[in-house]
Amino acid sequence: MDPSALVPVVLAMADGAHAAAGDGHAQHAAAYADVGALPYAKAGVDAGYSWLKWMLLAPLASVVLCGAFALLKVKGRWPAVFTVTSFAIAAALAVHLYREWGPGLFETGMPLAVPLADWITFSWGDGPFQSFTANFGLYVDGITLLWMLFVTVLATLIALYASEYMESDVKAGYARFFFAVSLFVASMLVLVMSDNLIGLYMGWEGVGLCSYMLIGYYAKQVGATAAAKKAFIMNRIGDLGLALAVFLIWTNYGTVQYDGLFQAISSTGSEAVQGSWTKAAIPFLLLLAVCGKSAQGPLFTWLPDAMWGPTPVSALIHAATMVTAGIYLLARMAPFYTAQAIGAEWAETALLTVGWIGCATAFIGATIACGQFDYKRVFAYSTISSLGYMVMGLGVGTAFGGVYYVFTHAWFKALLFLTAGAVMHGMAGQVDFRKLGGLMKVPGFRLTMACMLLGCLYLATAPFSAAALSKDIILYQALTSPVEQVRWMGWLGLATAGITAYYAFRVWFRLALGPVHIEPGPDQHGHDDHGHDDHGHAAHAAHGHAAHAPAAHGHGTHAGHGFHPHAPGLRISLVLSLIAVGSVLAGLPSYLEKSNGFNWIQRFVERSSAGIRATAGPEHAEILGRDAHGALFVLATGVVVVGFLIAWLLHAANRGLGDRLRASMLQTPGLKWLPLGSEHGWYVDGIYHVLFGVPAWLGAQVLATVDRFVVDGVVVNAVGRIPGWFARVFQPLYTGTVQGHALSMAGGIALIVGWVIWWWLSGGAS
Amino acid sequence: MTLAALLIVLPLVGALACLAAGGRASKAVGLVASLATLGVAIAFAAGFPNWTDGGVWPNESGWKVFSAFGVDFLLGADSVGVLLILLTALLMPCCMLVSFSAITHRPAGFYAQFLFMEAAVMLAFLARDVILFYIGYEFTLVPLFLIVAIWGGQERRVAAIKLWVFSFVGSVISLLGFVYLGAAHAAQTGGPITFGIDELTKFGQSLPADVQWWVFLSIMGGFAVKVPFVPVHSWLPLAHGEAPTAGSVVLAGIVIKIGQYGALRFAFPMAPEGGLALASTFAALALVGIIAMSLVCWVQNDVKRLVAYSSVAHMGLALLAMFAFNVVGIEGGILYMVNHGLSTAGMFMCIGIMYERYHTKDMEVVGGLMQRMPVWSVFMVLFAMASLALPGLNGFVSEFLCLMGVYTADAGMRTGFPGVLGPWYALLAGTALVLGALYILRMLQKFVFGPLREPAHEGHGHHHEVRDLNGREILSMLPLAAGCIVIGLWPKPLLVAIEPVAAQVAAPYVKLIERDAAKRAADAEAEAAPGPSATTASAAATATGAIE
Repeated sequence: MDPSALVPVVLAMADGAHAAAGDGHAQHAAAYADVGALPYAKAGVDAGYSWLKWMLLAPLASVVLCGAFALLKVKGRWPAVFTVTSFAIAAALAVHLYREWGPGLFETGMPLAVPLADWITFSWGDGPFQSFTANFGLYVDGITLLWMLFVTVLATLIALYASEYMESDVKAGYARFFFAVSLFVASMLVLVMSDNLIGLYMGWEGVGLCSYMLIGYYAKQVGATAAAKKAFIMNRIGDLGLALAVFLIWTNYGTVQYDGLFQAISSTGSEAVQGSWTKAAIPFLLLLAVCGKSAQGPLFTWLPDAMWGPTPVSALIHAATMVTAGIYLLARMAPFYTAQAIGAEWAETALLTVGWIGCATAFIGATIACGQFDYKRVFAYSTISSLGYMVMGLGVGTAFGGVYYVFTHAWFKALLFLTAGAVMHGMAGQVDFRKLGGLMKVPGFRLTMACMLLGCLYLATAPFSAAALSKDIILYQALTSPVEQVRWMGWLGLATAGITAYYAFRVWFRLALGPVHIEPGPDQHGHDDHGHDDHGHAAHAAHGHAAHAPAAHGHGTHAGHGFHPHAPGLRISLVLSLIAVGSVLAGLPSYLEKSNGFNWIQRFVERSSAGIRATAGPEHAEILGRDAHGALFVLATGVVVVGFLIAWLLHAANRGLGDRLRASMLQTPGLKWLPLGSEHGWYVDGIYHVLFGVPAWLGAQVLATVDRFVVDGVVVNAVGRIPGWFARVFQPLYTGTVQGHALSMAGGIALIVGWVIWWWLSGGAS
Repeated sequence: MTLAALLIVLPLVGALACLAAGGRASKAVGLVASLATLGVAIAFAAGFPNWTDGGVWPNESGWKVFSAFGVDFLLGADSVGVLLILLTALLMPCCMLVSFSAITHRPAGFYAQFLFMEAAVMLAFLARDVILFYIGYEFTLVPLFLIVAIWGGQERRVAAIKLWVFSFVGSVISLLGFVYLGAAHAAQTGGPITFGIDELTKFGQSLPADVQWWVFLSIMGGFAVKVPFVPVHSWLPLAHGEAPTAGSVVLAGIVIKIGQYGALRFAFPMAPEGGLALASTFAALALVGIIAMSLVCWVQNDVKRLVAYSSVAHMGLALLAMFAFNVVGIEGGILYMVNHGLSTAGMFMCIGIMYERYHTKDMEVVGGLMQRMPVWSVFMVLFAMASLALPGLNGFVSEFLCLMGVYTADAGMRTGFPGVLGPWYALLAGTALVLGALYILRMLQKFVFGPLREPAHEGHGHHHEVRDLNGREILSMLPLAAGCIVIGLWPKPLLVAIEPVAAQVAAPYVKLIERDAAKRAADAEAEAAPGPSATTASAAATATGAIE
C-alpha cells in the first residue's frame, strides 16, 4: 500500500476544525511544516582554528593517563587531577572560541569548518555518488558552540565533585572511573563537533560505551552489570535507526557531511521530493535513534536502571549531557523535518510524531516519578519527563524552546543529582526518602538541602525561574499553534508541569522537613570498596529488580545506632554552590532579553542548522480567548502552585497523609492500579520481558537445539555415514597414537594422490 | 629466489627445522621462522607496486614442473592478496607465542604443523593458477586436521573428522567447477590445457548463462562450506570448541577467510551470470546465518562455541555484502575479512589464556574475571567491542560499509548501484547490530563483569593464585589489539588498497545488471507499442549489453 495515501487521513486528524476547508491545510503546512526555502550558508573553512582539536585531545590525553594508571594499578588521586585539568582546558578553549569567533557567527551565521584528518574515505569515480567521505573534521555552528560550552563547563565541575565523591575508591576503581569519564567527554565532544554523520555516530556510540562502562562501574553487582547491558542494547536499537537513516541520507544526497547535505536540501525544489519514501523515512529513523539515546517513547526504560552508576555519572551523563544528544540530533537534522526536504505532508507527520513521542514520554515519566520512593529514581524519571519536553519542543516547531530547556535543565538537573549524591554520600547510601527526614536540621546538610530546594523549584518550573522561562517557550509555541494536535500537546504538557511540581516537592518535603530521621543505608556495613550507590538499591530489589544480598541486612535493625552522617566536604560544597549559581544564571538570556534586545540562546539556535525553528511562537496570539502571554503565565503558575500545594498537603503539612492516602488507594479495588502502576513504572519492563525477551530467548534456545541436534546431529551425521570408507581410511587417527609428522606426510600424500585421481578422472573425460 | 617464493619456502624450511630441533627448542625455531616470514611478508608488501590499481605482482613463472598437467607455477598477488598475506604472517607468531605454555605434548610437531599451514596458506593467496590455489587450499586442511585431532579437547576426533569431511567435500565440489572450466576451455581453444586464473576468468564470463549458473553453484557451493554458510556450518563450532587456542586462531583468522577469498577470486569473476542469478539465494542463506546464528550465540554457555557461532554470523554479513555487487559492499566485505580475523582471533586468544588457568570454557562456572585478571579483561573487552562494531574500532568501518553496500544495492536508488538486494536485506542484516550487542554483552556480563566465580578447585590459593597476563601473553595479543585500533581510526590505506579490487569484482555485474535493465526497458517499450520492431529492439539491447 502506498503510505502517502495515509497522509490526507493524518492531516484530517491533525485539524478536524479545518479539515473541510482545503485552504486551511495549506495554511497549516505553511505555518508548521513548510518553513520556506532553507537559508543555508556554506561553511567557511578555516584551518586557523585547528587548535580546536585540543578540545578533543586534552580529554583523550587524560584517557590515556588514567588508562595507564588503571592498567599499572597505580593508586592515588592523580586520575582526578588529569581529568579535571583536561576538562578545564577544554572548557577554556570553548570559551575562547566563543569570544573569538562567536561575534562573527552571530553576525554572518556562517558555520566554521575545520578539517583535521582522513578517516573513512575512498572513491570509485569522479561523479556524484562515486565516493564516500567521512573524515575527522569539525563543524561548529550555534548549537555546536552551545553544547561545547555547557558540556565542558559542567563536566569540569562534576569531575571535581566526583574527585571527592569517589574518594573511597582511591584504592580500587578510581583510575578506571576517571578513564571512562574522560573518554565520555571526548566522545561527547566528537558527537557535537564532528562535521559529518559518521563522526556523530562514532561519538554517539562512544558515549554509549562510556555510559555502559559507568553504569556497570560497580561490576561486582549483578544488577549494575545487567543495567549496563540493558542500556547498551536499548541504545543499539536506536543506533540501528541512526545507521539506516545515514544510509538513506547518503543514498539520496551522496554525502554525509552536514555542509553538503544542507546545501543539497536547500537547492532541491520541494516538489522534487513528493512521494519519495526514501527521503520521508529519514526523520522517522532519526527519531528512533533519539528514542534510544534520550530515553524516549518505547525505549525509555534503560534510564532508570542507569542509576546503578555512581551519582556524579548520573548527573553528568544521564541528566545533563549525553541524554541531550538526541535533542542535539533533532536540532542538527532540523532541515530534514521540513517541506523542502521531504514534502509538506510528510514533514507535518514527522513533526507531529516527534511531538507526540516527546509529549507522551513527558507525561508518562512524570506519572511514574510520583510513585517512586528512591529519590534518585524520582530524578531519573523526571529526567525522562524533561527530555520528553525538549523533544516535544522540537516537535511543536520550536528548536529554540527545546534547546533552551536543554541548557537550563542541564544545570538544575545536575544540581539535583549532585545534591542527591551528597545525601547518599552522607547517609551511607540511603536512597529511600521514607527512611530519611528533617535533613535541613542536620548540621552540614543545610547547603545541600538548600541547593536541592533550588533544584526542585526549577524542576517544578517555579515562575520566573530559568526552567520556567525556557519551558514556557515550548508551551507557548504549542498552545498558540494553528494545528489542533499541537495544541493538545500543549495542554498535556501543562498538566505534566503540575505533576512535576508535585513529585519534585514530594521528595524535598520528605527529605528536608519534619523531625530528624535517619536510617543509614547499607554502606555503613559495606566495609569494602563497593562505593555508595551499589547498596542503595534495596528499593529496586523490593520492586523485583535484580536483588542483591548485602542490602538485606541493613534496614531497621541498626537504625541510627551510632551512625554519624558524613557531611559533604569542601569540593562537593563548592561544586554544589557553583552549579546552583549556574542554574540561576541559566535564566540570564531571558532576564537580559529586554536590555539586550535579543535572547542569547535564541541567537545560538538562529545561527545553526535549526535556525529555521528559532522562533518562540507568534508575537500576538490568544489562548482561551485571552492574550497568550498573560494566559500562559497564569495557567503555568496555576498548575505549579496546585502541584506544590498538593505536595505540601500530603508530605509537609501532615507527613503521614500521603502514606495513608496511598494505603487506602491500595485497599480500593478501583484505584489500586494507580499507585501500583506508578510505582512499577506501569510494568513496562515486565511487558517487554514477556513480549520480547521471553519469546526471543525461547526461540534462540530452540534454534540452538535444532542446530546442535537436528542439523548437526541427525542430518549431518547421516550424510556423514555415506562415505563410510572415508572414516575407515583414517581409522588410525582415531587412536591418536601415530606420530604427528608421519601423519602429516601421509595426509599430504593422500591428498596429492586424491587430486591426481580427480584430475585424471575429470581431465580424461574432456 | 624471489620474495613471493620465499613466502612459501621459508615456513616449509622452518617446519622441517622445527621437527629437526624437536622438544623445547622447537618453540624458538618456530617463532623465529614465523617472524622471519613476517619480515619477508612486510618486505613483499613494501615492494608491492600495485596498491592503487588492482594489478597483480610479481606474476613470476619459471617452474614448469606441473606444466604437464596444465598447471603453471605462477605466483603473484593483488592488493587484497597482499593484505591477507600480511594478516596470515602477523597471526602466525601470535599463535606460536600464545601456545608456549599451553602445548606441552609433542611441541615440535605442533609448531611444524603451523608452519606447514602457513606455507599452504601463502601458496593459496599467491597462486595465479586455479590448481595451484587448490593445492594450497587443500593442504591447509592437513595440518588443521592434525592440530585438532592431536592437540584438541575431549571430542577432538569427532571434530577433526567432521572438519575433514566437510572441508574435503566442499573443496571437491569447487574442484568440479574448476576442472570443468579448464577442460571446456581446452576443448574450445583446442590448445593445451591451462588453469591460469586470467584465462579461465575470461573464458567463464563468455559461457552461456545456464552453464555459468552451474559453474557458480559448484565453485561457490564448495567455498560456502568453508566460509561457512548455514546450513553447512555445523563443523565450525565443533572444530572451534575442540581445537587448541592457536588452532582456533588460524581457523577463524585465516582458514575460513580462504573460503571468502575463493568466492572473491574465483566464483564471482568466473561466472557472473550465475552469481547474479543465485545472488538472492545465497543472500537469503547469509541472512538466515546472521539472524539465526546470532540468536544461537545468545544462548551459548560455552564461550568458545559462542565466538565460533558469532563467526558464522559475521562471515554471513561479509558474504552478503559481496552479493551486493557494488564497490561499497564488496569493499566492506573484503575489509571485514581482515577485521574479523583480528578481533575474533583476539577473542579466541583471550579465551585460550583463560582456559589455561581454569580448564573450563563454561560461563556458568567461571566469570567476573575482571577482578582476577584486569589486564586480560581489557583485551577481552577491546576485542569484543571490535567484534560488535563499535565506532573507532576496526569492526565498525567494515560493518558499516557492508550494510551500506547491501542497502544501496537497489537499482531504484540514486546511488547508481544496480543490484538485487536493497533496504529490506539491509534492515534484516542490520539486526546484527542489535543481536550482536545482545550476545557479546551477555558474554561480557557473565564472563568479565559481575561477581567473581571460579571453579571450586582453582584460584583462591588452593593450588595456586590465578595470575593476570604475563609479558609473553600480552605480547601475543598486542599486535591484534593495535590492529583493531589503528584500522578503526585510520582505515584509509586499506580502503584505498581494496577499492580497485572491489571495483574489478563489481565490474562484470554492473554490466550484466545494466544489460538486464535495458532489456526490461526495451521489453516494456515493445509491450507498449507492439510491432515488428519490438523484437529487434530487445535483441539489440541484449547484444549491446553482452559481455565480451
